[in-house]
Amino acid sequence: MFDLAANIRSWSDLLRAKGDLSEPDIIELENHLKDEIDDLITIGLSTEEAFLISVKRMGNVHAISKEYSKVSTENLWKHLMLNPDGALDSGQNRKYIAMVIIFSLVSGTLFKLPELFGLNLLDSENGVLFFKNISFFILPFVAAFFLIKHQSPWKTPAVIGGIFALAWLLINLYPTYSPNDTEFLTALHLPLFLWLITGIAYMGINWKTTKARMNFIRFTGESVIYGTLIFCGIIVLAMFIQAMFFAIQINASWFIQNYLIVYGASSAAMITIYLVETKKSVVENFAPILAKIFSPLFLLVMLVFLGVMIGSSKSPFIERDYLIAFDFMLALVLGLVIYVISARNPHERNTVFDYINLALILTALIIDGIALSAIVFRLSAYGLTPNKVAALGENLVLLVNLAGLAWLYIRFFLNKFDFKKIEVFQTSYLYVYAIWFGMVAFLLPILFGFQ
Amino acid sequence: MNVSKDLIAASAIPFILAILKQEDSYGYAIIKKVKELTADELIWSEGMLYPVLHRLEEKNFIESYWQGSEKGRQRKYYRIKEEGLTELDMQKKQWDIVHSALSKTWLNLIKKKEEFQYV
Repeated sequence: MFDLAANIRSWSDLLRAKGDLSEPDIIELENHLKDEIDDLITIGLSTEEAFLISVKRMGNVHAISKEYSKVSTENLWKHLMLNPDGALDSGQNRKYIAMVIIFSLVSGTLFKLPELFGLNLLDSENGVLFFKNISFFILPFVAAFFLIKHQSPWKTPAVIGGIFALAWLLINLYPTYSPNDTEFLTALHLPLFLWLITGIAYMGINWKTTKARMNFIRFTGESVIYGTLIFCGIIVLAMFIQAMFFAIQINASWFIQNYLIVYGASSAAMITIYLVETKKSVVENFAPILAKIFSPLFLLVMLVFLGVMIGSSKSPFIERDYLIAFDFMLALVLGLVIYVISARNPHERNTVFDYINLALILTALIIDGIALSAIVFRLSAYGLTPNKVAALGENLVLLVNLAGLAWLYIRFFLNKFDFKKIEVFQTSYLYVYAIWFGMVAFLLPILFGFQ
Repeated sequence: MNVSKDLIAASAIPFILAILKQEDSYGYAIIKKVKELTADELIWSEGMLYPVLHRLEEKNFIESYWQGSEKGRQRKYYRIKEEGLTELDMQKKQWDIVHSALSKTWLNLIKKKEEFQYV
């Protein structure tokens, strides 16, 4: 006996397995098939005949799903991993993968190189030295990857390479005196500054356009997310190795510390860059979903924090160290806000997520205002220190950015203009960040006599 | 006679829009209508209708809503929008141009044949 229901199910499972169709799409197609089968049965065909003919009329499952993939908005990894030739031609793709492997190995080895001269960067006493230089082990390769990919004319690589070399020389030539505040600030701001420089390599000749910059912002956000995921995977692997070898009384931690983590980190960075970059050319990406999951959560946390802070009338800014940590939290929120903007379809009408985003901006603005007043108070009470100047600058830069966004968002809600204006503002504001990061990394040490 | 694939693909959008202009409809009914109109001469790979509907929806020409049928089957109905009507008009004009140009050509061919026969 022919089991019609089971056969229809296995047909739709075939479509499901292709991964390009959403569940409603599949229900729609399935119902089409059922309608057709019903009609064929009424004109006298057997169930099995009706099924076979209907399936034939529907057409090739592979072709259908491929058509869907061109319009569907929810596929990401599948395309990239299972069917890379759709997005890139395979020769090209192989070239990129080769580049990823070579660059990861070179970057990991470069990291190990100082050990030959008895300088282990992973020793805790070299901590600041390590942090100061960490960007030079990874970012030049990321930049090189994009420059080769875009086949940029010689001028761009020369300028970017020049900036990297100059930065490297400067920060390693700078002396440092106790309590090493400026050195620490340099270590903190240099990677951010160099990331923006790497961004120029990413954007290529269009680096001045809003669209390219928006892409770069989205790219940054996704790199952070995927990079974290991949690195977590490596840590799980490390723990696994540790546990397995421990079971046979062998201590594998020297291997993990000296090799797995070093090469793992460098390859995690390169693989992330590759994945996020190739994914860009696939129909849709992950950004909108992530943005929608995390912006309400962040808003909730910020609101609760603000409420508790006011309710218990405790200021988190009494301790000097918290100030900078707090700035990073604000920066994270701002990053999320910008990421949401970059993930947004600019032609869409305002949605509930735009309101959440505005609420997030306003909350961050209030917290930033409180932080700023605390810093100004500390400045007037205890005088200038590098940390305070950096914190003050950071908060001002953030404040202006947040205020600008809030203002534009409100005007956008009042239907004064296009969403595009918000993007233009945000992408132009990247200049401010680049200048500020550069100043803290290179200028502040000189101003404060390298203390 | 089998109509070529390219021609079928090209005519799919005006067909769908024209059918939806008469009344809201769902996938299977649209296919049935096309078969009826063309006396089974135009053979669509039926599954291919849906990606096209998706694309039309994305382009804002049509919109969709779900409605249950008498058999309890959920059906996705499509409704034509203002933009879709404009598009249909444009497509109609384009097809008219091709059609009238081709008709003239056919007519000339026939005339020539007749002259040839009289000589």
